[in-house]
Amino acid sequence: MHKKIDTEAVSLYIPRSYLTTEGNRTGSWRFLRPRYEEKTAPCSVACPAAEDIGRIEMLTTQGLFKDAWETILRENPFPGVCGRVCFHPCEDACNRGSFDEAIAIHVLERFLANRAMRGSYEPVMERAAIRKERIAVIGAGPAGLSAAYFLTLLGYRTDVFEAADEAGGVLRWGIPLYRLPLAILREEIRRIEELGVRIQTGRTLSEQDVSDLAGEYDALFIACGHGRSVESGIPGEKSTGVRDGLSFLREVREGKAGTISGRAAVIGGGNAAIDVARSVIRLGGEAMIIYRRRRQDMPAFSEEIAMALDEGVKLRELLAPVAIRSDGGGLVLEVRPMKIAGIDADGRGHVEREGTQTEEIRIDFLFTAVGERAAETWYEPPDTGAAVLRLSHCVLTQKPGGGFVYGGDLTNGTKSVAHAVASGKEGAMALGTLLAEGMEAVPPRLASCRVGQDGAPSMEIYMRGSRSDRSPHVVTSDEINTAYFQFDPRLKQPRLLTEERTRTFGEVNLNISANLAIREAERCFNCGLCNQCDNCYLFCPDLAVKKDSGPLGRHIDYDYCKGCGVCAVECPRNALILEEEAHEEGH
Amino acid sequence: MKKVIEGSQAVAEAVRLARVNVISAYPITPQTHIVETLSGFCSDGTLDARFLKVESEHSALAALIGASSGGVRTFTATSSQGLALMHELLHWASGARLPIVMAEVNRALGPGWNIWTDQTDSLAQRDTGWIQLYCEDGQETLDTTLQAFYLAERVNLPVMVVLDAFFLSHTYEPVDIPDQEAVDRFLPPFSPRFQLDTKNPCAFGSLVTPDAYMEMRRSIAAGMEAALEMLPEVEERFAGIFGRRWAAIQPVRCDDAEIILVTSGTVTSTCRELVDNLREKGEKVGLLKVKLFRPFPVEDIRRALAPARKIAVIDRNFSFGASGIFAQEIRATLCDTPGHPTVFGFIAGIGGRDVTKDVLEEIYQKTKQSERPEREDIWIGLKEVPHALEHP
Repeated sequence: MHKKIDTEAVSLYIPRSYLTTEGNRTGSWRFLRPRYEEKTAPCSVACPAAEDIGRIEMLTTQGLFKDAWETILRENPFPGVCGRVCFHPCEDACNRGSFDEAIAIHVLERFLANRAMRGSYEPVMERAAIRKERIAVIGAGPAGLSAAYFLTLLGYRTDVFEAADEAGGVLRWGIPLYRLPLAILREEIRRIEELGVRIQTGRTLSEQDVSDLAGEYDALFIACGHGRSVESGIPGEKSTGVRDGLSFLREVREGKAGTISGRAAVIGGGNAAIDVARSVIRLGGEAMIIYRRRRQDMPAFSEEIAMALDEGVKLRELLAPVAIRSDGGGLVLEVRPMKIAGIDADGRGHVEREGTQTEEIRIDFLFTAVGERAAETWYEPPDTGAAVLRLSHCVLTQKPGGGFVYGGDLTNGTKSVAHAVASGKEGAMALGTLLAEGMEAVPPRLASCRVGQDGAPSMEIYMRGSRSDRSPHVVTSDEINTAYFQFDPRLKQPRLLTEERTRTFGEVNLNISANLAIREAERCFNCGLCNQCDNCYLFCPDLAVKKDSGPLGRHIDYDYCKGCGVCAVECPRNALILEEEAHEEGH
Repeated sequence: MKKVIEGSQAVAEAVRLARVNVISAYPITPQTHIVETLSGFCSDGTLDARFLKVESEHSALAALIGASSGGVRTFTATSSQGLALMHELLHWASGARLPIVMAEVNRALGPGWNIWTDQTDSLAQRDTGWIQLYCEDGQETLDTTLQAFYLAERVNLPVMVVLDAFFLSHTYEPVDIPDQEAVDRFLPPFSPRFQLDTKNPCAFGSLVTPDAYMEMRRSIAAGMEAALEMLPEVEERFAGIFGRRWAAIQPVRCDDAEIILVTSGTVTSTCRELVDNLREKGEKVGLLKVKLFRPFPVEDIRRALAPARKIAVIDRNFSFGASGIFAQEIRATLCDTPGHPTVFGFIAGIGGRDVTKDVLEEIYQKTKQSERPEREDIWIGLKEVPHALEHP
């Protein structure tokens, strides 16, 4: 047997201090100071409803679906609607887009809204103290309902007057069911009513009624929408079989459209034209869209165009309608070929006539969908004057003791649901400031509530929630440390089979599982937000990042932070900033 | 349980059984299978360890220096250029007295770019304060890796387990993989004699003046001496549980041998067969396998080689301007022994060239036929090549 050697007897003479090194306050070496500073994500700047998307996705990642949904509700009462019909400009701004593919933000919004509905979530919303003023909202479309919702959150008693027998405006009477099921809309309107908003339907108001209301209420929010189609001006447009698209869509939503057999042409390139064509297909007809410019010039959302074509809608580009005439049982549409000649100021192709030939297209029906306008001229805001303030999404006019706001499609450049929400929100903020602080206070107060300075107005910032602490700096893609992210393809929105889509008004987009939602949310860079990834904590060579119970869960111990900046460099999402240390007086 | 596995997998199995806490590595042929298998173990939960993917071998060892200072069991694997890149940190690991274990797959250094076996990479690191153990087959590799953790943690020095590229790393052989319970009996959890402590943060590796540095170096040397002294006890303990022993050196038919061939690594197996064949023909030949290179087992080697008249050292490595490195060590070991045998140094199998039984027999015959070596390095199997650079 060999002799046993005592390990403790093996020589171990090493360079190690006997005393703690805590006496050496290395913070005195610092000339750069790291500081936690949450910044603004580009998606939230692009969102007309100013949703705090980076935070919503972070909460989704953590499985905190209710918190994520409530975070949407702070800025938008319609996550179920917007998750379905919004054209998601947020995704175009997504920093992940320059890495692999943008986050499927709208799919996640739709998921959270579904989750809330299925789980019967009751939102816990922050509300301001009750105020004495009463406000009337004319029109229960997305702008009017949003205004009522936000005004109620701000403590005002709000009554909504709606001409139709059900609230929702274009959401109820314009957008087809395959894009927005009725149950979703009704649920979100129910929640607004539950908050205390009173909606009176079947109340068609005249100009006189409205001026009477102005005496009764302290302020009015007028959002009567664009209820009337613009006439196309094509000779023969009064022929039998020619219809305006908007009223057709309304008939479809009222369930009065019946079936269609034969060929229909739709004139126009906007979303209404697409909706008409896709509805015709579903009612049994054939649909062809006639557009003066090219596909890429169409104001309709490109995804909608693609789905319409999938479903069998034909698209004829660069054709201008010249005349319509009846021919036997059908119609003949005479069109003239056009060509692109330069680019217009709005970036779309400018068209002019191509030759002198015209073409005749035989059809059974013709729908015009070339634009909409207000049904009554008094819906429109007054022209600029001393007491008129044009804001980004609405127009505010002062009256003794109160004010009028004109909003929604009447004042928005882009007619979308998210813009309507922005309009209602901005109107509520404008009236809140006007009633509490006066007209002069409105512009500076609203300017201070924009997301990242140029973005839409945020109600959370207006109500001085934690979002107001963020820097308005908008995080750019090169400020993201992409070493911490792996390429991962974007979630594919599951859809109804094309064959099924053409037979039913059932929703085209299908639900996704919680697993898929979390996985997609995990792709989010959470630009400018701290998600507690702990990189700063792990990388700090001085153990100067200390955990605490504050909102960020951490702080920097400046006694030992040498200002090396590793934390700021290794922060994947730019939630840290490195600043020059202030010089002490006398040094 | 016996399984047919690669030498690389034998290392990985041992690392798994050793319940290593932190693995950090950068891939390099022919080592990659080791860490590939380990990363699989980590991801499927077979091994509860933190696997660090790093950007270089330098970082791989730096990460382990940090982890080992924190008082946990650590492992890395590398080869050739990768080991060369670690050079600075090899010194640091031993100077800081950290019991890190590394699998080093012998591979030639470039240029010419060559991924095949050659011992020059590990032997060039002989002065870095790492214990070095050269293995012959898959079973020895597995067993040695387990012993390496035990030994390292006893003497607070890092250990390199060295295996030949492809001939061992990529060769499938039956290997007995021991039970976890048996390994746990052999290898207790690591209980560090010192570690980083955030509650009482002390400074490590600080400036040391000439007043104390020399004693610290002597302490490392003492650790090496302790390792040499302790290895038999480790072998004993291991044999008690697993029934296998390997030893620092292994003499084969040396007692009455006139000529003893000295080998290391996989060449040893080929040489075993040659020695048996020659013995059948009445040749008085023996074989000495050297497994432990640092610390060098001087006394054991002197004793084993004493009976012979001539020694033929086979080096699969070369120190330019000198000779084969094992031959240098053997010469230095013997030079103070009166009447010591003559040492012939042979260079063979460089850059992965086969060292066959014929090559070894040629070495034996050359040694038998000469009274003295014609030079300190005799290159076997060299081809005629143009030594002037040809211009196109």
